[in-house]
Amino acid sequence: MRIGIVLGHAVLAAFVLSSCGSDSTGSSVSSSSTPGTLLENPPARLASLSATDFGAALSATGSGAQLLSLASAGTGQLKCGVDFYLYHYATTGGAGESIKSSGALMVPTGGSACTGARNIVLYAHGTAMTSGYNLANIADPTNEAYSEAALNAAMYTAGQGYIVVAPNYAGYKDSTLSYHPYLNGGQNGQEMVDALTAARAAISGGNLFTTVSDSGKLFVTGYSEGGYVAMAAQRALQAKGMTVTAGVHMSGPYALEAFGDAILSGNVNIGSTVFVPLATTSYQKAYGDMYTATSDIYESAYASGIDTLLPTGIPYGTLTAGAPGSNLLFSTGKLPELALFSSTTPSVSDMTALGVPSANATQLAALLSVPANPLSASGFGSSNLLKNIVRIQYALDAFNPANMDGLIAGTGVGLAPAPAYPLRKHLAANDQRALWGSTAPTAPMLLCGGHNDPTVFYSVNTSGMMAYWGVAGLAGGAGKPIQSIDVDPSSSSIAGGIATQVATAVAGTYMADLAASATPAKLAADVGATVIGLYPSHFSITASGATPIDAQGVLIGAIAAAAEQVAVGDYTAATQVTSPTQVGTDITTAVVGVYHGDLVPPACTVAAVQYFSNF
Amino acid sequence: MKFTQRLVFAGACAAFACMAGSAVADEATPNTVRLGLYFVSFHPSAPDLSGPYTPPGLNLSMNSVTTPYAAYLRDITPHFTIELAGGVPPNTEAVARGPATLGSVPYNGQLIAKVKWFSPSLLFEYNFCDPSAALRPYVGVGVNYTSFYNREVSAAGEAIVGGPTSVSLSHSMGPAATAGVAYKLPHHFQVMASYSYAQIKSDFVANTSGIVRSTSVNFHPSTWVVGAGYSF
Repeated sequence: MRIGIVLGHAVLAAFVLSSCGSDSTGSSVSSSSTPGTLLENPPARLASLSATDFGAALSATGSGAQLLSLASAGTGQLKCGVDFYLYHYATTGGAGESIKSSGALMVPTGGSACTGARNIVLYAHGTAMTSGYNLANIADPTNEAYSEAALNAAMYTAGQGYIVVAPNYAGYKDSTLSYHPYLNGGQNGQEMVDALTAARAAISGGNLFTTVSDSGKLFVTGYSEGGYVAMAAQRALQAKGMTVTAGVHMSGPYALEAFGDAILSGNVNIGSTVFVPLATTSYQKAYGDMYTATSDIYESAYASGIDTLLPTGIPYGTLTAGAPGSNLLFSTGKLPELALFSSTTPSVSDMTALGVPSANATQLAALLSVPANPLSASGFGSSNLLKNIVRIQYALDAFNPANMDGLIAGTGVGLAPAPAYPLRKHLAANDQRALWGSTAPTAPMLLCGGHNDPTVFYSVNTSGMMAYWGVAGLAGGAGKPIQSIDVDPSSSSIAGGIATQVATAVAGTYMADLAASATPAKLAADVGATVIGLYPSHFSITASGATPIDAQGVLIGAIAAAAEQVAVGDYTAATQVTSPTQVGTDITTAVVGVYHGDLVPPACTVAAVQYFSNF
Repeated sequence: MKFTQRLVFAGACAAFACMAGSAVADEATPNTVRLGLYFVSFHPSAPDLSGPYTPPGLNLSMNSVTTPYAAYLRDITPHFTIELAGGVPPNTEAVARGPATLGSVPYNGQLIAKVKWFSPSLLFEYNFCDPSAALRPYVGVGVNYTSFYNREVSAAGEAIVGGPTSVSLSHSMGPAATAGVAYKLPHHFQVMASYSYAQIKSDFVANTSGIVRSTSVNFHPSTWVVGAGYSF
């Protein structure tokens, strides 16, 4: 009626306007599936921290304060601030799938030492259990990626003014791939190339990145799984004719066939119950022949759903919300924590039933029995992950004298002539010795690790690759392009390794302080001094304290911090620990438990920063 | 004073304020056009911004605006009038409210975004006193329509959300109410003053390189108008 007439009035026409006027535009979005395409330009910045604010954030925790000290060369003042960007790129999965992945860009900010032409560090991260793993999300300390992100942002971006390109990998944050192509060397290397290509498009895109540019120098590095991925990336970049200035690969499972042979024969590594499902699923997707049903290789308690269990969608904070060291995957029975193999090891009759000649069966049964050393023995149990048939069939392939890995047989450095058992065949195909073959790395390389590493064995992987390239004249002496550094200064002849050495010394200190009723603070100081006192040549010791002067010192310093924490914990426990054996066991367990994940990374990163500064 | 109390107060005053007037009879001049000024202050309420990578406690306030007012009124009966009112679309400013910084990026007090409002109201008004009275208080209810355009995120806003950002604000349709007083002057002129309220709500969505953050804002504008009119 009246309203309609009034609303229809021509006067209103003057007020009508388009519902979309001009407004701020977002970034340009690409839906291209060409690998290496940057999918949003510019990418979103998730956080911006000045040098002072980043330093303050690190200082809030003990490990962060140590990291700040390392990154600032002891001054406490970082050189640059850090902007964290989350970017997305197109890449390819482990079975040729066209997919998207995400990654972090850590860009320096600040004065003239932080702007202009910047070196790029391409970083490959270690094994991650949660699909929400996100190196760009520095604002969330409960993210599984937090400590790795902080380490790289502090040491490289804030400390050196480098741009860090750190992919989250296919299968992780914002990735459209439903699994992670774990230890799939072809996919891993190519994805790093795609991630770098997209990152360079963002850096030179001119949008937000107006203060930095690409200097053209590229450093490739990574830790643990990332050491493997970074080495594969260096291979892929070289194959594409893309410049690599230098590589530092840290604690990686490079000699996969030899590593697998060692583990399957009984030398179980810490973390195996997480690594094995990731690798098995990866190879099942890539090759299709690992099993017909998961129950073919996994014990029935774990078989159902094991192929989609990892990486889990459960947030890391939730996963680890229980008691320190607890994990929902273990406590809810989805995975055994330690027991990879059955403690009822394959018997002679198990094998003769499969047609194995009884002489061989007897030999193999002995080989596959529970090892004497307690660390390996902890990988055996009654609620184990893998069926004995896997061990038997793998061992028949791996310990056939005609088909042994040279590094395992001790006769050479080469791969087995004809691995046939699917798991072994795929480990061999993805072994770095197969990826490189006789191609020499054209960029210099440093392999870093700690020789007591219980998670990724140093001797078979790092020493193995050094021996492999040594035969080609590329390693094994000063001046060679491929060098290695062992950040663990302990003698390899110490029984039980550095953990036992430290535990024995600290137990003595503990008992003395216990007898003297020392304060917890004094105990901590004494424990620290004891550990440092085992390897004083790696420190500059003054009245105000001990400062590491090299990568080994950083490792020892980290061991000291871990030992102090355990000792004080035992000392101040509701029921105070008074047995030196108990103290010793607690220290050993702690040092072994964090060796790979917490002790070696800062030490090797210090070595890497030092190495890269030469270029 | 709450708006309902203001309405009652206006109504009560009206009962005592009627005076005889010397104005020309309104039947001959049922149309009125008015020009004046809107003085708008916002009291927005919104849940904190939500979305990925969005810490808690991020909210907005809006600066007050002043903008020209224009209206067309048509007397339907001696006491009832329809008013179609609108303003020159003001540029309203959203200011960050929350922590002093996010990381090292300034937040609290930063001008984050500007948006223009097209916000006409259609009101049915009851005028107290005799049509010939000089001073006539009135109250009215009606509907407001608001749409937002020229949405612009500032450089400070982009620094906060992490990059170039497109913003959308859904349009709003809601009740409006007013109370005022008009005073007749010679030669068909008048002056007036009023207080109005409209319910204006909008769903706010910001997209920064695929990161989507959102909230629902209730703007709660309270508006004073001062103006002059001419009847014909």
